[in-house]
Amino acid sequence: MSELRELTPGQLAWLKFRRHRLAMIAAGSLIFLYTIAIFCEFISPYTPEQRNSRAINAPPMDVRFFDAEGQFNFRPFVYDLELTINPDTWMREYEEDASTAYPIRFFTRGEPYEFWGLFEAERHLFSVDPNGPGYIHWFGTDSLGRDVFSRVLYGARVSLSIGVVGVGLTLFLGVLLGGFAGYLGGIFDSAVQRMTEVLQSIPTLPLWMALSAALPAAWSPITTYFGVTIILSLFGWTTLARQVRGRFLAMREEDFVVAARLIGANDQRVVFRHMLPSFSSHIITTATLAVPAMILGETALSFLGIGLRAPVVSWGVLLQQAQNYQVIVMTPWLLLPGAFIVVTVIAFNLLGDGLRDAADPYSSLRQQ
Amino acid sequence: MSRLFQKRLADKLHPGDSIVSLAFLASLAIQPANGAELEVPDAWLKPAQTASQLGITSFSQSAYLDNRDLPPVEERLPDDPIVIVPLDSIGTYGGVANITHEDRGMFIPPEGIFTIAPDHKTILPNLAESYAYNEDGRELTITLRRGLKWSDSHPLTTEDILFSINDLQLNKNFMPVTLPDFIGLEVIAIDDRTFVFNFPSPEPFYINYMAQSPEYFLMPKHYFREFHPDYADEEVIAERMEELGFSDWSAFMTTSMQRRLFPDLVNHPTTSAYKIESLTPGLYSYERNPYFHKVDTNGQQLPYIDAIEAQDVREPEIAVAKASTGQLDFAGVRLPTQDIPLLKLGERTSGIKVNVWNRLHGSDLSIQANMNFADEQKRTLFADVRFRRALSMAINRNEMNDIIYFGRGTPRQVTVVPGSDYFEPEFATAWAQYDTDAAEALLDEIGLHDVDGDGVRELSDGSPLTLTVEYVDTETPKQISMELVVSYWNAVGLDVRQRLIDRELQYSRAISGELEMTVWHADRTTDVLFPINPDFWVPRKLAASLAMWSEWSRWYLTDGNLGEEPPPEIRQLQLWADELATTMDRDRRIEVGKLILAANAENVWTIGTVGLAPQPVVTSNRLKNVVESGLWGWDIRYTMPYHPATWFFDQ
Repeated sequence: MSELRELTPGQLAWLKFRRHRLAMIAAGSLIFLYTIAIFCEFISPYTPEQRNSRAINAPPMDVRFFDAEGQFNFRPFVYDLELTINPDTWMREYEEDASTAYPIRFFTRGEPYEFWGLFEAERHLFSVDPNGPGYIHWFGTDSLGRDVFSRVLYGARVSLSIGVVGVGLTLFLGVLLGGFAGYLGGIFDSAVQRMTEVLQSIPTLPLWMALSAALPAAWSPITTYFGVTIILSLFGWTTLARQVRGRFLAMREEDFVVAARLIGANDQRVVFRHMLPSFSSHIITTATLAVPAMILGETALSFLGIGLRAPVVSWGVLLQQAQNYQVIVMTPWLLLPGAFIVVTVIAFNLLGDGLRDAADPYSSLRQQ
Repeated sequence: MSRLFQKRLADKLHPGDSIVSLAFLASLAIQPANGAELEVPDAWLKPAQTASQLGITSFSQSAYLDNRDLPPVEERLPDDPIVIVPLDSIGTYGGVANITHEDRGMFIPPEGIFTIAPDHKTILPNLAESYAYNEDGRELTITLRRGLKWSDSHPLTTEDILFSINDLQLNKNFMPVTLPDFIGLEVIAIDDRTFVFNFPSPEPFYINYMAQSPEYFLMPKHYFREFHPDYADEEVIAERMEELGFSDWSAFMTTSMQRRLFPDLVNHPTTSAYKIESLTPGLYSYERNPYFHKVDTNGQQLPYIDAIEAQDVREPEIAVAKASTGQLDFAGVRLPTQDIPLLKLGERTSGIKVNVWNRLHGSDLSIQANMNFADEQKRTLFADVRFRRALSMAINRNEMNDIIYFGRGTPRQVTVVPGSDYFEPEFATAWAQYDTDAAEALLDEIGLHDVDGDGVRELSDGSPLTLTVEYVDTETPKQISMELVVSYWNAVGLDVRQRLIDRELQYSRAISGELEMTVWHADRTTDVLFPINPDFWVPRKLAASLAMWSEWSRWYLTDGNLGEEPPPEIRQLQLWADELATTMDRDRRIEVGKLILAANAENVWTIGTVGLAPQPVVTSNRLKNVVESGLWGWDIRYTMPYHPATWFFDQ
């Protein structure tokens, strides 16, 4: 008997989730992206506002292991770029100068920054030639010579966190309002239902726009950030609230709830000890699937120029600055933040998919 | 004249082929702003000769006008039409030019009594045959050419000029506040070609004003009298206004005659080379004015191109895209400097030519700190010359030139163009060197120290100092420039916020002195406008572009009744400006102009960044006779000196 190990629901879910290959990859990518976002000051070689006037609209640089003679170098390096403005085409042309190579060095001192706004630091994960003229821009630079790689990382912090913070707020509102509506019923339920319907019937984009336009321009970047987050969550909670309410309604009459109540458990215990855990997995899944919507919402608002504004760097802001004909023809690397958005959104959707399967470990058995 | 040009001409002009002699076509190389040589025919710099002077006796017209039930071309032209020498070659008739709405003021510049020569200083007679000032400069006698006609065949006479001035400019119902240039003006018609202006004070530059703002002086009386309460029945006018969609006659008249880039919202008779054929919201169509008063050296009535289609293109980006893909025959006004490489890319594939002209803006940015601002602390700070010099020296103009202008602009302060009579090199360079140490030393000296050690300077009493720059991102690259400027100012410890605002807001807040700091572009830098409108250097006007001294201007404009009395050195500027505009002594004029500019250079009342910036002017390969380089800007009405009527399509 002791040989037979019992699996807790959590372990079961984990086993199930591990078998979902895509979800595992997605989870890995997201952990990677969030780590980058958390440590962006350290990982990025430059600060987002740092300008390199020798590299304006420079294309992404090649990071090399093999030098001009075909010799393998263990330490990767970049070649110096020489900028000339073509007198006929007015094009800024960058030519690699194979005689000057800058090896990539790790944990170098560079532009000082404030880590998490807490303490001053100046170590960067990597850079080239910290005090000399060499530079590395492996995602290229923008029209002011700012490093696109560094800006994408700093943008990741804002864009990725706005998803999580926004969904946190959504969850709070959704579970609170949905839960009470479902459990209490009556007038409160009707009120919440009607409110939900009204909110869902309004087209979101114009509403977002109106509210964003109402954000005072004098607000500091950080207040604007929270303003935008609140706007996004205020309209995101309705779906979740409906689901939660539905679950509560259905579960109120379930045997185990009735039993708990008959034993004499109070409302609080019934709700938090018995009812919520039984569909927490469902909530987590819904929340995961809601994150990309938040990220896209922020991107859309910023892209339209009514969400976050420079000097805040978010993926939406970066794309907003790249939304013209000139960029597509001349400097397509400025669209790279778009690729990050796509990857993030896909990853969240796959993760949500995996979580949904895992949350119900017996689903595949039932199908058989 | 370049050898190449001469050769090309020699190729074209076989003996006997044309009545034009080579000597006549000799051209002068003018030194324009950027130092490159601008080559134009010599004839463009002198009063245009007439057909009789050149022995041209037969005239011809475009086939477009054949079978149109018009009088013969000889009768439509003035008795002795003026002859415009084309830039490269005699053109052929025909074709429809595709442009955007915004460029129609450039393709069809106004044709006034006077015009501006391509040296950007000489004023030449256009519809006028001759003009003369009396000795003290208070009387100007002008004689119009014989036989001038409006585009609807009605004769153009002194009646029209009297109407424009007495019934419009001096009519209190139409202009409740008379424009300064018309105050006290008296105009007398001697006959139907000759009229006399009597000025209350000497006006040696009145012809500059008439050349640059022709719309104020030339309104067709026979057309507008039908809408004018002094001539027509009020009820009839009200009916007509309702038909045309205007609230009242003065709104209609204002729209008709506004001195602006797009003067043609009303289809009234014109003197320009083209007249409106039809107006739809998306497309304005123009066709040649059959009564246009100019011919080429072969006696062909100008313009060469028969018609113009101006599309409504709202987004500047679309204008760039259309220009770079060869969908426009001429484009300039919406094309930013930064897009030159993109446009040049189109040169290889789309059959266009990208000419790079130079904007005549003394500086693309005029950064203004409001010395009449309501906040006492800020006002004191901005009025301190050390502070303005520190702001100026903290700016790395060479880097701005490299980043924004491909290194092809000129780092300089707000001052006149190098070709001007009033220019001295040090006006452009004073306090313009990049020297953060000197800037920081000045800020320290004023008492702006970083008290709490956060890297940002506080006011001398320890309270925080935040500068707010509010501006409209229009015409020149202001936003990208200000991003750089703000970063330079941050680097010397100044906390600066910037915000884009609406144009209307800019106007109302600038004239009421509510803008703390703002940015505009500085034109009026040529000898056409500087002597009459030295607005960036002297407080004497209220405008959206002038936010640094609104109260001193108000004081000047109201003879001391409103506003604030300026300090002595500012008052001196106003006195100098008055003298500059009225003195008949040429040497004294230049001396006073230089005094004004020298005081500005020393005091940095407005801060410049990079001027004489490259301006792309895109033409399709089939469009000929367009100058390759020139000055681009309001002072000279963009293309007025370069004769767009002689542009033609190579078939």
